[in-house]
Amino acid sequence: MDLFARNEGERYVCGLIDGPCQTSDLDVLVQDPAHGAIAQFFGVVRNHNEGLSAAAVDYDVHPELALKALSELCQDVCADYPVKLVMIHSRGLVRVGEASVVIAASSAHRKDALGAVSDAIDQLKIRVPIWKKEIGPDDEQRWLDGHSLRKD
Amino acid sequence: MTAITVHCLGAFRDLGDRFTIEVDDVSVASIRDAVSRHLVQMNRSDLEGVLKRSVFAEGDELLKDHVTVSGQEVSLLPPVAGG
Repeated sequence: MDLFARNEGERYVCGLIDGPCQTSDLDVLVQDPAHGAIAQFFGVVRNHNEGLSAAAVDYDVHPELALKALSELCQDVCADYPVKLVMIHSRGLVRVGEASVVIAASSAHRKDALGAVSDAIDQLKIRVPIWKKEIGPDDEQRWLDGHSLRKD
Repeated sequence: MTAITVHCLGAFRDLGDRFTIEVDDVSVASIRDAVSRHLVQMNRSDLEGVLKRSVFAEGDELLKDHVTVSGQEVSLLPPVAGG
């Protein structure tokens, strides 16, 4: 089941979807007649990692916590930049060449949109409860290390 | 003794979707110690390092080790790796 959250002022939309993310028409979600720039980022599963071949990544997600963390992240980015923002992440299987995360931001001028997208993906990687199990071409599987959420 | 169900995420999925431990007190520190003993019992001491860098959550709240849980279910969150 796909899960989405948005704020009352329509400044951001974030969500989790089953399977790969669609990369088309993302810009429509952030279009604004007062905004002259739209920046987009697609995170795509690649066919190698740390010297090993990869065929897919299986994303494990804590839905409740991940949606909360995505919402807080969107709020932080929107506080730092005057943008409209959309962030969507996959859960489950995503194959090589398919997008696992898509982010788009629009702003009056390009620097804010570009900065917002860059900060959003940097923070997503260290704040949102999502885990990667990499699957090799012969179905060998391994969990990838990540960033600890522990504060004590 | 109190039974606590631990929901597994990420690398801990190798232990199953969940397992149950028993603790004398319901502090997160005690739960962490009990999970460590469970790893030994399951011959998965290799996950001890991951456990040290993991955080427990109850509902949608991340928990520090000095707090106590109010229910009997927690989630075990290893280091995150989205993107």
